[in-house]
Amino acid sequence: MTGRSHSRSLRFALVAIPLFLAIVLLQTRIDAETRTIAQQKEELLLRSGPLLKKLSLGYDSLLADIYWTRAVQYYGSRVGNVGEKFELLWPLLDVTTSLDPKLMVAYRFGAIFLSEPAPMGADRADLAVELVKRGVSANPDDWRLESDLGFLYYWHLKKYPEAAAAYLEASKKKDGPVLMKMMAAEVAAKGNSFSASRAIWTEIFQTAQDPSTKKNALQHLQSLQAQQDLLALDKYSEDYRKRTGRYPTTAREIYESGVLSGIPVDPAGIPYIFGPDGKAQLDPKSSVVLDKPSNGPPR
Amino acid sequence: MSTIPGVVAINTFREAVRDRVLYNLIFFALMMIGASILVGEISIGISRLVIINLGLSAISIFGLVMAIFIGVGLVHKEIEKRTLYTLLSKPVKRWEFLVGKFGGLLLTLTVNTALMTIGLGAALYYVSRSFLRTDASILVAVYFILLELGLVTALALFFSCFSSPMLSTLFTLGLYVAGIFSTDIRDIGMLTRSPATQAAARAIYYLLPNFHNFNAITAAAHGESIPVSLIWQNTAYAASYVVLVLAAASAVFSGRDLK
Repeated sequence: MTGRSHSRSLRFALVAIPLFLAIVLLQTRIDAETRTIAQQKEELLLRSGPLLKKLSLGYDSLLADIYWTRAVQYYGSRVGNVGEKFELLWPLLDVTTSLDPKLMVAYRFGAIFLSEPAPMGADRADLAVELVKRGVSANPDDWRLESDLGFLYYWHLKKYPEAAAAYLEASKKKDGPVLMKMMAAEVAAKGNSFSASRAIWTEIFQTAQDPSTKKNALQHLQSLQAQQDLLALDKYSEDYRKRTGRYPTTAREIYESGVLSGIPVDPAGIPYIFGPDGKAQLDPKSSVVLDKPSNGPPR
Repeated sequence: MSTIPGVVAINTFREAVRDRVLYNLIFFALMMIGASILVGEISIGISRLVIINLGLSAISIFGLVMAIFIGVGLVHKEIEKRTLYTLLSKPVKRWEFLVGKFGGLLLTLTVNTALMTIGLGAALYYVSRSFLRTDASILVAVYFILLELGLVTALALFFSCFSSPMLSTLFTLGLYVAGIFSTDIRDIGMLTRSPATQAAARAIYYLLPNFHNFNAITAAAHGESIPVSLIWQNTAYAASYVVLVLAAASAVFSGRDLK
Protein backbone atom coordinates (compact mmCIF):
# COMPACT_ATOMS: atom_id res chain seq x y z
CA MET A 1 0.00 0.00 0.00
CA THR A 2 1.38 3.41 -0.96
CA GLY A 3 1.65 6.29 1.49
CA ARG A 4 -1.04 8.24 -0.36
CA SER A 5 -3.63 5.46 -0.29
CA HIS A 6 -2.77 4.85 3.37
CA SER A 7 -3.55 8.43 4.30
CA ARG A 8 -6.72 8.31 2.20
CA SER A 9 -7.89 5.25 4.17
CA LEU A 10 -7.08 7.03 7.42
CA ARG A 11 -9.08 10.09 6.41
CA PHE A 12 -12.01 7.88 5.40
CA ALA A 13 -11.87 6.11 8.78
CA LEU A 14 -11.79 9.43 10.59
CA VAL A 15 -14.96 10.50 8.85
CA ALA A 16 -16.74 7.13 8.74
CA ILE A 17 -16.32 6.03 12.36
CA PRO A 18 -17.88 9.13 13.99
CA LEU A 19 -20.66 9.08 11.40
CA PHE A 20 -21.38 5.43 12.09
CA LEU A 21 -21.45 6.06 15.83
CA ALA A 22 -23.84 8.94 15.23
CA ILE A 23 -26.10 6.65 13.18
CA VAL A 24 -26.16 4.07 15.99
CA LEU A 25 -26.99 6.76 18.55
CA LEU A 26 -29.74 8.23 16.40
CA GLN A 27 -31.28 4.84 15.70
CA THR A 28 -31.33 4.03 19.42
CA ARG A 29 -33.22 7.28 20.06
CA ILE A 30 -35.63 6.65 17.19
CA ASP A 31 -36.29 3.14 18.56
CA ALA A 32 -37.06 4.56 22.01
CA GLU A 33 -39.39 7.10 20.46
CA THR A 34 -41.26 4.63 18.27
CA ARG A 35 -41.47 1.89 20.92
CA THR A 36 -44.10 3.84 22.83
CA ILE A 37 -46.05 4.41 19.62
CA ALA A 38 -45.88 0.71 18.78
CA GLN A 39 -47.09 -0.23 22.25
CA GLN A 40 -50.09 2.04 21.90
CA LYS A 41 -51.49 0.21 18.95
CA GLU A 42 -50.89 -3.41 18.13
CA GLU A 43 -52.06 -4.08 14.65
CA LEU A 44 -51.87 -6.55 11.86
CA LEU A 45 -52.00 -4.61 8.62
CA LEU A 46 -53.23 -7.35 6.35
CA ARG A 47 -55.64 -9.84 7.89
CA SER A 48 -56.92 -11.47 4.75
CA GLY A 49 -55.15 -14.74 4.06
CA PRO A 50 -56.53 -15.11 0.51
CA LEU A 51 -55.42 -11.55 -0.34
CA LEU A 52 -51.95 -12.17 1.06
CA LYS A 53 -51.78 -15.41 -0.89
CA LYS A 54 -52.42 -13.48 -4.09
CA LEU A 55 -49.94 -10.77 -3.19
CA SER A 56 -47.26 -13.32 -2.36
CA LEU A 57 -46.77 -14.00 -6.12
CA GLY A 58 -46.39 -17.72 -5.56
CA TYR A 59 -44.10 -17.51 -2.54
CA ASP A 60 -47.04 -18.23 -0.24
CA SER A 61 -45.45 -21.10 1.67
CA LEU A 62 -42.43 -18.97 2.59
CA LEU A 63 -44.80 -16.21 3.73
CA ALA A 64 -46.72 -18.79 5.77
CA ASP A 65 -43.47 -19.74 7.55
CA ILE A 66 -42.88 -16.07 8.32
CA TYR A 67 -46.42 -15.61 9.67
CA TRP A 68 -46.14 -18.79 11.74
CA THR A 69 -42.89 -17.50 13.22
CA ARG A 70 -44.67 -14.22 13.97
CA ALA A 71 -47.47 -16.15 15.71
CA VAL A 72 -44.93 -18.09 17.81
CA GLN A 73 -43.09 -14.89 18.72
CA TYR A 74 -46.36 -13.11 19.51
CA TYR A 75 -47.53 -15.94 21.77
CA GLY A 76 -44.11 -16.41 23.36
CA SER A 77 -43.75 -12.73 24.24
CA ARG A 78 -47.15 -12.60 25.96
CA VAL A 79 -47.68 -15.99 27.55
CA GLY A 80 -48.04 -15.72 31.31
CA ASN A 81 -48.99 -12.02 31.28
CA VAL A 82 -52.06 -11.60 33.49
CA GLY A 83 -54.91 -9.96 31.59
CA GLU A 84 -53.38 -10.75 28.19
CA LYS A 85 -56.07 -11.45 25.59
CA PHE A 86 -53.85 -12.58 22.70
CA GLU A 87 -56.03 -10.60 20.30
CA LEU A 88 -53.75 -11.02 17.30
CA LEU A 89 -53.20 -14.73 17.78
CA TRP A 90 -56.24 -15.86 15.83
CA PRO A 91 -55.65 -13.46 12.88
CA LEU A 92 -52.01 -14.59 12.70
CA LEU A 93 -52.98 -18.27 12.70
CA ASP A 94 -55.80 -17.58 10.25
CA VAL A 95 -53.41 -15.92 7.80
CA THR A 96 -50.75 -18.61 8.32
CA THR A 97 -53.09 -21.49 7.55
CA SER A 98 -54.69 -19.65 4.63
CA LEU A 99 -51.26 -19.15 3.10
CA ASP A 100 -50.21 -22.76 3.64
CA PRO A 101 -53.14 -25.06 4.43
CA LYS A 102 -50.70 -27.98 4.80
CA LEU A 103 -48.70 -26.41 7.63
CA MET A 104 -49.62 -28.99 10.28
CA VAL A 105 -47.57 -27.41 13.02
CA ALA A 106 -49.68 -24.24 12.84
CA TYR A 107 -52.90 -26.16 13.42
CA ARG A 108 -51.53 -28.37 16.18
CA PHE A 109 -49.55 -25.84 18.22
CA GLY A 110 -51.91 -23.01 17.26
CA ALA A 111 -54.81 -24.95 18.79
CA ILE A 112 -52.84 -25.27 22.04
CA PHE A 113 -52.04 -21.54 22.11
CA LEU A 114 -55.70 -20.69 21.49
CA SER A 115 -57.33 -23.20 23.82
CA GLU A 116 -55.19 -22.94 26.95
CA PRO A 117 -56.84 -20.91 29.72
CA ALA A 118 -55.45 -17.44 30.43
CA PRO A 119 -52.74 -16.43 31.08
CA MET A 120 -51.18 -19.44 29.32
CA GLY A 121 -53.35 -19.04 26.25
CA ALA A 122 -56.22 -17.17 24.63
CA ASP A 123 -58.85 -19.34 26.36
CA ARG A 124 -60.66 -19.66 23.03
CA ALA A 125 -61.25 -23.37 22.63
CA ASP A 126 -64.03 -22.53 20.16
CA LEU A 127 -61.50 -20.88 17.83
CA ALA A 128 -59.08 -23.75 18.39
CA VAL A 129 -61.80 -26.16 17.23
CA GLU A 130 -62.42 -23.98 14.16
CA LEU A 131 -58.70 -23.94 13.40
CA VAL A 132 -58.32 -27.70 13.72
CA LYS A 133 -61.48 -28.34 11.71
CA ARG A 134 -59.98 -26.21 8.95
CA GLY A 135 -56.84 -28.32 9.20
CA VAL A 136 -58.88 -31.51 8.94
CA SER A 137 -60.59 -30.32 5.80
CA ALA A 138 -57.23 -29.33 4.23
CA ASN A 139 -55.47 -32.52 5.37
CA PRO A 140 -58.19 -35.16 5.36
CA ASP A 141 -55.77 -38.09 5.58
CA ASP A 142 -54.01 -37.02 8.77
CA TRP A 143 -55.28 -38.72 11.94
CA ARG A 144 -53.41 -36.40 14.32
CA LEU A 145 -55.69 -33.43 13.68
CA GLU A 146 -58.80 -35.52 14.41
CA SER A 147 -57.09 -36.64 17.60
CA ASP A 148 -56.39 -33.00 18.52
CA LEU A 149 -60.03 -32.18 17.80
CA GLY A 150 -61.11 -35.01 20.11
CA PHE A 151 -58.84 -33.63 22.82
CA LEU A 152 -60.26 -30.10 22.46
CA TYR A 153 -63.84 -31.36 22.72
CA TYR A 154 -63.00 -33.66 25.60
CA TRP A 155 -60.70 -31.55 27.72
CA HIS A 156 -61.69 -27.95 27.07
CA LEU A 157 -65.31 -28.07 25.93
CA LYS A 158 -66.46 -31.26 27.76
CA LYS A 159 -68.44 -32.26 24.69
CA TYR A 160 -68.02 -36.01 25.01
CA PRO A 161 -70.10 -37.24 22.05
CA GLU A 162 -68.22 -34.87 19.71
CA ALA A 163 -64.91 -35.94 21.26
CA ALA A 164 -65.77 -39.62 20.79
CA ALA A 165 -66.77 -38.99 17.18
CA ALA A 166 -63.47 -37.17 16.50
CA TYR A 167 -61.39 -39.95 18.08
CA LEU A 168 -63.33 -42.55 16.13
CA GLU A 169 -62.69 -40.59 12.93
CA ALA A 170 -58.97 -40.46 13.79
CA SER A 171 -58.91 -44.24 14.16
CA LYS A 172 -60.35 -44.64 10.65
CA LYS A 173 -57.62 -42.58 8.98
CA LYS A 174 -54.56 -44.08 7.36
CA ASP A 175 -52.02 -44.93 10.09
CA GLY A 176 -54.58 -43.99 12.76
CA PRO A 177 -53.55 -46.00 15.84
CA VAL A 178 -55.99 -48.39 17.53
CA LEU A 179 -55.52 -46.24 20.64
CA MET A 180 -57.79 -43.67 18.97
CA LYS A 181 -60.58 -46.21 18.87
CA MET A 182 -60.00 -46.95 22.54
CA MET A 183 -60.11 -43.23 23.29
CA ALA A 184 -63.39 -42.94 21.44
CA ALA A 185 -64.84 -45.73 23.53
CA GLU A 186 -63.50 -44.27 26.78
CA VAL A 187 -64.83 -40.82 26.01
CA ALA A 188 -68.22 -42.14 24.88
CA ALA A 189 -68.51 -44.01 28.20
CA LYS A 190 -67.56 -40.88 30.11
CA GLY A 191 -70.40 -39.08 28.39
CA ASN A 192 -72.68 -41.96 29.53
CA SER A 193 -73.11 -43.07 25.94
CA PHE A 194 -72.91 -46.76 26.83
CA SER A 195 -74.26 -47.97 23.54
CA ALA A 196 -71.66 -46.04 21.50
CA SER A 197 -68.88 -47.10 23.84
CA ARG A 198 -69.97 -50.74 23.75
CA ALA A 199 -70.21 -50.73 19.95
CA ILE A 200 -66.66 -49.41 19.65
CA TRP A 201 -65.18 -51.78 22.24
CA THR A 202 -67.00 -54.70 20.62
CA GLU A 203 -65.45 -53.80 17.27
CA ILE A 204 -62.00 -53.52 18.88
CA PHE A 205 -62.50 -56.89 20.56
CA GLN A 206 -63.55 -58.54 17.32
CA THR A 207 -60.87 -57.03 15.11
CA ALA A 208 -57.82 -56.78 17.42
CA GLN A 209 -54.94 -59.10 16.53
CA ASP A 210 -52.92 -58.36 19.62
CA PRO A 211 -53.99 -60.51 22.66
CA SER A 212 -53.42 -57.72 25.16
CA THR A 213 -55.63 -55.32 23.15
CA LYS A 214 -58.27 -58.03 22.93
CA LYS A 215 -58.11 -58.62 26.69
CA ASN A 216 -58.27 -54.88 27.35
CA ALA A 217 -61.35 -54.54 25.11
CA LEU A 218 -63.03 -57.46 26.93
CA GLN A 219 -62.37 -55.82 30.30
CA HIS A 220 -63.92 -52.59 29.08
CA LEU A 221 -66.95 -54.43 27.70
CA GLN A 222 -67.41 -56.18 31.04
CA SER A 223 -67.02 -52.89 32.86
CA LEU A 224 -69.61 -51.22 30.65
CA GLN A 225 -72.05 -54.07 31.21
CA ALA A 226 -71.50 -53.92 34.97
CA GLN A 227 -71.97 -50.13 35.02
CA GLN A 228 -75.28 -50.44 33.23
CA ASP A 229 -76.38 -53.26 35.56
CA LEU A 230 -75.44 -51.23 38.64
CA LEU A 231 -77.49 -48.25 37.45
CA ALA A 232 -80.53 -50.49 36.90
CA LEU A 233 -80.04 -52.26 40.26
CA ASP A 234 -79.88 -48.90 42.04
CA LYS A 235 -83.43 -48.24 40.83
CA TYR A 236 -84.60 -51.68 41.96
CA SER A 237 -82.96 -51.06 45.34
CA GLU A 238 -84.83 -47.76 45.76
CA ASP A 239 -88.15 -49.44 44.83
CA TYR A 240 -87.34 -52.22 47.32
CA ARG A 241 -86.82 -49.65 50.09
CA LYS A 242 -90.12 -47.98 49.30
CA ARG A 243 -91.89 -51.30 49.59
CA THR A 244 -90.08 -52.80 52.65
CA GLY A 245 -88.68 -49.74 54.43
CA ARG A 246 -85.04 -50.89 54.07
CA TYR A 247 -82.41 -51.38 51.35
CA PRO A 248 -81.54 -54.87 50.11
CA THR A 249 -78.16 -56.34 51.11
CA THR A 250 -77.94 -59.02 48.43
CA ALA A 251 -79.14 -59.46 44.85
CA ARG A 252 -81.05 -62.55 45.96
CA GLU A 253 -83.38 -60.36 48.08
CA ILE A 254 -84.40 -58.38 44.97
CA TYR A 255 -84.90 -61.59 43.02
CA GLU A 256 -87.03 -63.04 45.81
CA SER A 257 -89.18 -59.90 45.84
CA GLY A 258 -90.34 -61.04 42.39
CA VAL A 259 -89.24 -58.11 40.19
CA LEU A 260 -86.47 -60.06 38.42
CA SER A 261 -86.57 -63.43 36.71
CA GLY A 262 -83.16 -64.45 38.08
CA ILE A 263 -80.41 -63.43 40.50
CA PRO A 264 -78.56 -60.55 38.83
CA VAL A 265 -74.89 -61.45 38.26
CA ASP A 266 -71.99 -59.46 36.88
CA PRO A 267 -70.22 -60.39 33.59
CA ALA A 268 -67.91 -62.69 35.60
CA GLY A 269 -70.97 -64.58 36.90
CA ILE A 270 -70.72 -63.29 40.51
CA PRO A 271 -73.96 -61.88 42.03
CA TYR A 272 -74.01 -58.16 42.75
CA ILE A 273 -74.18 -56.92 46.34
CA PHE A 274 -75.58 -53.76 47.93
CA GLY A 275 -73.96 -51.25 50.26
CA PRO A 276 -75.60 -49.78 53.38
CA ASP A 277 -76.72 -46.80 51.27
CA GLY A 278 -78.58 -49.15 48.94
CA LYS A 279 -76.17 -48.66 46.06
CA ALA A 280 -75.41 -51.77 44.00
CA GLN A 281 -71.76 -52.86 43.98
CA LEU A 282 -69.52 -55.54 42.55
CA ASP A 283 -68.69 -58.37 44.87
CA PRO A 284 -65.04 -58.02 45.96
CA LYS A 285 -64.52 -61.60 44.71
CA SER A 286 -65.52 -60.54 41.19
CA SER A 287 -62.82 -60.32 38.51
CA VAL A 288 -64.64 -57.46 36.79
CA VAL A 289 -62.85 -54.12 37.11
CA LEU A 290 -64.87 -50.95 36.71
CA ASP A 291 -63.29 -48.20 34.60
CA LYS A 292 -62.05 -45.32 36.70
CA PRO A 293 -62.52 -41.77 35.52
CA SER A 294 -59.33 -40.71 33.74
CA ASN A 295 -57.55 -37.42 34.11
CA GLY A 296 -57.66 -36.86 30.39
CA PRO A 297 -56.82 -38.55 27.18
CA PRO A 298 -53.31 -38.78 25.82
CA ARG A 299 -52.62 -36.60 22.83
CA MET B 1 -26.92 -28.21 -38.07
CA SER B 2 -25.43 -24.82 -37.33
CA THR B 3 -22.97 -24.61 -34.44
CA ILE B 4 -23.22 -20.82 -34.25
CA PRO B 5 -25.90 -20.67 -31.54
CA GLY B 6 -23.70 -22.92 -29.40
CA VAL B 7 -20.68 -20.67 -29.88
CA VAL B 8 -22.72 -17.56 -29.04
CA ALA B 9 -24.17 -19.35 -25.99
CA ILE B 10 -20.74 -20.31 -24.63
CA ASN B 11 -19.50 -16.75 -25.08
CA THR B 12 -22.59 -15.34 -23.40
CA PHE B 13 -21.99 -17.68 -20.46
CA ARG B 14 -18.32 -16.65 -20.26
CA GLU B 15 -19.31 -13.01 -20.34
CA ALA B 16 -21.79 -13.52 -17.50
CA VAL B 17 -19.09 -15.24 -15.42
CA ARG B 18 -16.67 -12.40 -16.23
CA ASP B 19 -19.34 -9.92 -15.10
CA ARG B 20 -19.33 -11.66 -11.69
CA VAL B 21 -22.96 -12.63 -12.04
CA LEU B 22 -22.37 -15.76 -9.97
CA TYR B 23 -21.44 -13.63 -6.98
CA ASN B 24 -25.11 -13.83 -5.95
CA LEU B 25 -24.23 -17.32 -4.76
CA ILE B 26 -22.37 -15.80 -1.83
CA PHE B 27 -25.56 -14.04 -0.69
CA PHE B 28 -27.48 -17.24 -1.14
CA ALA B 29 -24.96 -19.22 0.91
CA LEU B 30 -24.97 -16.64 3.71
CA MET B 31 -28.76 -16.58 3.76
CA MET B 32 -29.03 -20.36 3.97
CA ILE B 33 -26.43 -20.57 6.72
CA GLY B 34 -28.22 -17.82 8.66
CA ALA B 35 -31.60 -19.47 8.24
CA SER B 36 -30.24 -22.89 9.26
CA ILE B 37 -28.90 -21.50 12.51
CA LEU B 38 -31.64 -18.99 13.32
CA VAL B 39 -34.88 -20.68 12.44
CA GLY B 40 -34.73 -23.27 15.21
CA GLU B 41 -34.29 -20.45 17.72
CA ILE B 42 -37.23 -18.31 16.67
CA SER B 43 -39.90 -20.73 15.53
CA ILE B 44 -41.42 -24.13 16.31
CA GLY B 45 -41.44 -27.23 14.15
CA ILE B 46 -40.64 -25.69 10.78
CA SER B 47 -36.85 -25.96 10.49
CA ARG B 48 -36.99 -28.22 7.45
CA LEU B 49 -39.91 -26.36 5.94
CA VAL B 50 -38.17 -23.01 6.22
CA ILE B 51 -34.98 -24.31 4.66
CA ILE B 52 -36.89 -25.78 1.72
CA ASN B 53 -39.26 -22.82 1.30
CA LEU B 54 -36.53 -20.24 1.71
CA GLY B 55 -34.06 -22.12 -0.49
CA LEU B 56 -36.50 -22.70 -3.34
CA SER B 57 -37.93 -19.17 -3.11
CA ALA B 58 -34.41 -17.72 -3.18
CA ILE B 59 -33.46 -19.88 -6.17
CA SER B 60 -36.56 -18.62 -7.93
CA ILE B 61 -36.15 -14.93 -6.99
CA PHE B 62 -32.40 -14.78 -7.67
CA GLY B 63 -32.98 -16.56 -10.97
CA LEU B 64 -35.81 -14.23 -11.96
CA VAL B 65 -33.76 -11.15 -11.18
CA MET B 66 -30.90 -12.52 -13.28
CA ALA B 67 -33.15 -13.64 -16.12
CA ILE B 68 -34.89 -10.29 -16.37
CA PHE B 69 -32.01 -7.89 -15.77
CA ILE B 70 -29.45 -9.76 -17.84
CA GLY B 71 -32.01 -10.88 -20.43
CA VAL B 72 -33.16 -7.36 -21.28
CA GLY B 73 -29.57 -6.25 -21.87
CA LEU B 74 -28.47 -9.15 -24.04
CA VAL B 75 -29.25 -7.51 -27.39
CA HIS B 76 -29.06 -3.89 -26.28
CA LYS B 77 -25.53 -4.31 -24.92
CA GLU B 78 -24.31 -5.78 -28.19
CA ILE B 79 -25.83 -2.89 -30.15
CA GLU B 80 -24.46 -0.27 -27.75
CA LYS B 81 -20.95 -1.74 -27.85
CA ARG B 82 -21.32 -2.15 -31.62
CA THR B 83 -20.10 -5.76 -31.35
CA LEU B 84 -23.35 -6.89 -32.95
CA TYR B 85 -22.37 -5.28 -36.28
CA THR B 86 -19.08 -7.17 -36.35
CA LEU B 87 -20.88 -10.36 -35.54
CA LEU B 88 -23.63 -9.92 -38.11
CA SER B 89 -21.10 -9.05 -40.82
CA LYS B 90 -20.01 -12.68 -40.52
CA PRO B 91 -22.19 -15.54 -41.77
CA VAL B 92 -24.34 -15.43 -38.63
CA LYS B 93 -28.08 -15.25 -38.98
CA ARG B 94 -29.98 -13.03 -36.61
CA TRP B 95 -32.09 -15.87 -35.25
CA GLU B 96 -28.91 -17.85 -34.56
CA PHE B 97 -27.58 -14.93 -32.57
CA LEU B 98 -30.80 -14.74 -30.54
CA VAL B 99 -30.97 -18.46 -29.90
CA GLY B 100 -27.32 -18.39 -28.84
CA LYS B 101 -27.93 -15.50 -26.46
CA PHE B 102 -30.93 -17.31 -25.00
CA GLY B 103 -28.93 -20.54 -24.62
CA GLY B 104 -26.04 -18.70 -22.97
CA LEU B 105 -28.20 -17.04 -20.37
CA LEU B 106 -30.10 -20.27 -19.75
CA LEU B 107 -26.77 -22.04 -19.23
CA THR B 108 -25.73 -19.34 -16.74
CA LEU B 109 -29.03 -19.72 -14.92
CA THR B 110 -28.74 -23.50 -14.91
CA VAL B 111 -25.24 -23.42 -13.41
CA ASN B 112 -26.36 -20.83 -10.87
CA THR B 113 -29.45 -22.86 -9.96
CA ALA B 114 -27.47 -26.09 -9.72
CA LEU B 115 -24.98 -24.51 -7.30
CA MET B 116 -27.78 -23.04 -5.21
CA THR B 117 -29.51 -26.44 -5.12
CA ILE B 118 -26.31 -27.97 -3.73
CA GLY B 119 -26.30 -25.21 -1.09
CA LEU B 120 -29.94 -25.93 -0.29
CA GLY B 121 -29.16 -29.64 0.05
CA ALA B 122 -26.26 -28.91 2.41
CA ALA B 123 -28.42 -26.64 4.60
CA LEU B 124 -31.17 -29.24 4.66
CA TYR B 125 -28.71 -31.93 5.70
CA TYR B 126 -27.32 -29.63 8.42
CA VAL B 127 -30.80 -29.06 9.84
CA SER B 128 -32.20 -32.60 9.68
CA ARG B 129 -29.02 -34.74 9.51
CA SER B 130 -30.60 -36.89 6.82
CA PHE B 131 -32.45 -36.80 3.54
CA LEU B 132 -35.92 -38.23 3.08
CA ARG B 133 -37.17 -40.10 0.06
CA THR B 134 -39.77 -37.35 -0.41
CA ASP B 135 -36.99 -34.77 -0.80
CA ALA B 136 -36.87 -35.83 -4.47
CA SER B 137 -39.79 -33.41 -4.92
CA ILE B 138 -37.33 -30.58 -4.23
CA LEU B 139 -35.41 -31.48 -7.37
CA VAL B 140 -38.64 -31.44 -9.36
CA ALA B 141 -39.48 -28.02 -7.89
CA VAL B 142 -36.01 -26.78 -8.92
CA TYR B 143 -36.58 -28.15 -12.41
CA PHE B 144 -39.89 -26.28 -12.60
CA ILE B 145 -38.11 -23.09 -11.51
CA LEU B 146 -35.64 -23.61 -14.35
CA LEU B 147 -38.50 -23.99 -16.82
CA GLU B 148 -39.97 -20.77 -15.46
CA LEU B 149 -36.61 -19.01 -15.80
CA GLY B 150 -36.30 -20.23 -19.39
CA LEU B 151 -39.66 -18.71 -20.21
CA VAL B 152 -38.83 -15.41 -18.49
CA THR B 153 -35.48 -15.27 -20.32
CA ALA B 154 -37.22 -15.74 -23.65
CA LEU B 155 -39.70 -12.97 -22.84
CA ALA B 156 -36.94 -10.60 -21.72
CA LEU B 157 -35.01 -11.34 -24.90
CA PHE B 158 -38.13 -10.76 -27.00
CA PHE B 159 -38.76 -7.33 -25.50
CA SER B 160 -35.09 -6.40 -25.73
CA CYS B 161 -35.30 -6.89 -29.51
CA PHE B 162 -37.38 -3.75 -29.98
CA SER B 163 -37.30 -1.82 -26.73
CA SER B 164 -34.93 -0.15 -24.28
CA PRO B 165 -33.67 -2.15 -21.27
CA MET B 166 -35.80 -0.08 -18.89
CA LEU B 167 -39.02 -0.68 -20.82
CA SER B 168 -38.14 -4.30 -21.48
CA THR B 169 -37.72 -4.82 -17.73
CA LEU B 170 -41.14 -3.31 -17.08
CA PHE B 171 -42.78 -5.34 -19.84
CA THR B 172 -41.21 -8.59 -18.69
CA LEU B 173 -42.03 -7.98 -15.03
CA GLY B 174 -45.58 -6.97 -15.96
CA LEU B 175 -46.06 -10.08 -18.04
CA TYR B 176 -44.61 -12.23 -15.27
CA VAL B 177 -47.04 -10.82 -12.69
CA ALA B 178 -49.94 -11.07 -15.16
CA GLY B 179 -48.91 -14.67 -15.83
CA ILE B 180 -49.14 -15.47 -12.14
CA PHE B 181 -52.67 -14.02 -12.02
CA SER B 182 -53.81 -15.54 -15.33
CA THR B 183 -56.08 -18.05 -13.56
CA ASP B 184 -57.75 -15.17 -11.72
CA ILE B 185 -58.30 -13.30 -14.97
CA ARG B 186 -60.09 -16.34 -16.39
CA ASP B 187 -62.14 -16.77 -13.20
CA ILE B 188 -63.15 -13.11 -13.13
CA GLY B 189 -64.35 -13.48 -16.72
CA MET B 190 -66.42 -16.51 -15.70
CA LEU B 191 -68.14 -14.41 -13.03
CA THR B 192 -69.65 -12.14 -15.66
CA ARG B 193 -72.76 -13.07 -17.64
CA SER B 194 -71.39 -11.70 -20.86
CA PRO B 195 -70.23 -14.45 -23.25
CA ALA B 196 -67.97 -11.93 -25.00
CA THR B 197 -66.19 -11.04 -21.74
CA GLN B 198 -65.91 -14.71 -20.85
CA ALA B 199 -64.38 -15.49 -24.24
CA ALA B 200 -62.00 -12.53 -23.95
CA ALA B 201 -60.93 -13.57 -20.43
CA ARG B 202 -60.40 -17.14 -21.64
CA ALA B 203 -58.35 -15.91 -24.61
CA ILE B 204 -56.16 -13.80 -22.30
CA TYR B 205 -55.77 -16.80 -20.01
CA TYR B 206 -54.39 -18.94 -22.81
CA LEU B 207 -52.34 -16.12 -24.30
CA LEU B 208 -50.52 -15.20 -21.10
CA PRO B 209 -47.69 -17.48 -19.99
CA ASN B 210 -49.11 -19.33 -16.98
CA PHE B 211 -46.32 -19.06 -14.42
CA HIS B 212 -48.58 -20.58 -11.80
CA ASN B 213 -47.95 -23.95 -13.50
CA PHE B 214 -44.35 -23.94 -12.35
CA ASN B 215 -44.95 -23.37 -8.66
CA ALA B 216 -44.20 -26.59 -6.82
CA ILE B 217 -42.51 -25.05 -3.78
CA THR B 218 -45.31 -25.82 -1.33
CA ALA B 219 -45.65 -29.39 -2.59
CA ALA B 220 -41.88 -29.92 -2.28
CA ALA B 221 -41.79 -28.45 1.22
CA HIS B 222 -44.50 -30.86 2.37
CA GLY B 223 -42.87 -33.83 0.65
CA GLU B 224 -45.78 -34.36 -1.71
CA SER B 225 -45.00 -36.33 -4.82
CA ILE B 226 -45.36 -34.49 -8.11
CA PRO B 227 -46.92 -36.58 -10.89
CA VAL B 228 -44.66 -37.51 -13.79
CA SER B 229 -47.44 -36.43 -16.15
CA LEU B 230 -47.24 -32.90 -14.74
CA ILE B 231 -43.47 -32.87 -15.24
CA TRP B 232 -43.66 -33.64 -18.94
CA GLN B 233 -46.70 -31.43 -19.47
CA ASN B 234 -44.92 -28.47 -17.88
CA THR B 235 -41.77 -29.26 -19.90
CA ALA B 236 -43.76 -29.36 -23.14
CA TYR B 237 -45.66 -26.18 -22.19
CA ALA B 238 -42.47 -24.25 -21.40
CA ALA B 239 -40.68 -25.56 -24.52
CA SER B 240 -43.61 -24.66 -26.77
CA TYR B 241 -43.93 -21.20 -25.30
CA VAL B 242 -40.17 -20.55 -25.47
CA VAL B 243 -40.04 -21.59 -29.13
CA LEU B 244 -43.04 -19.36 -29.86
CA VAL B 245 -41.51 -16.35 -28.12
CA LEU B 246 -38.07 -16.90 -29.69
CA ALA B 247 -39.70 -17.20 -33.12
CA ALA B 248 -41.50 -13.92 -32.51
CA ALA B 249 -38.25 -12.36 -31.27
CA SER B 250 -36.41 -13.57 -34.38
CA ALA B 251 -39.15 -12.16 -36.61
CA VAL B 252 -38.96 -8.77 -34.89
CA PHE B 253 -35.17 -8.73 -34.75
CA SER B 254 -34.77 -9.81 -38.38
CA GLY B 255 -36.98 -6.95 -39.52
CA ARG B 256 -35.24 -4.39 -37.37
CA ASP B 257 -33.15 -1.75 -39.08
CA LEU B 258 -29.88 -1.74 -37.16
CA LYS B 259 -28.29 1.19 -38.99
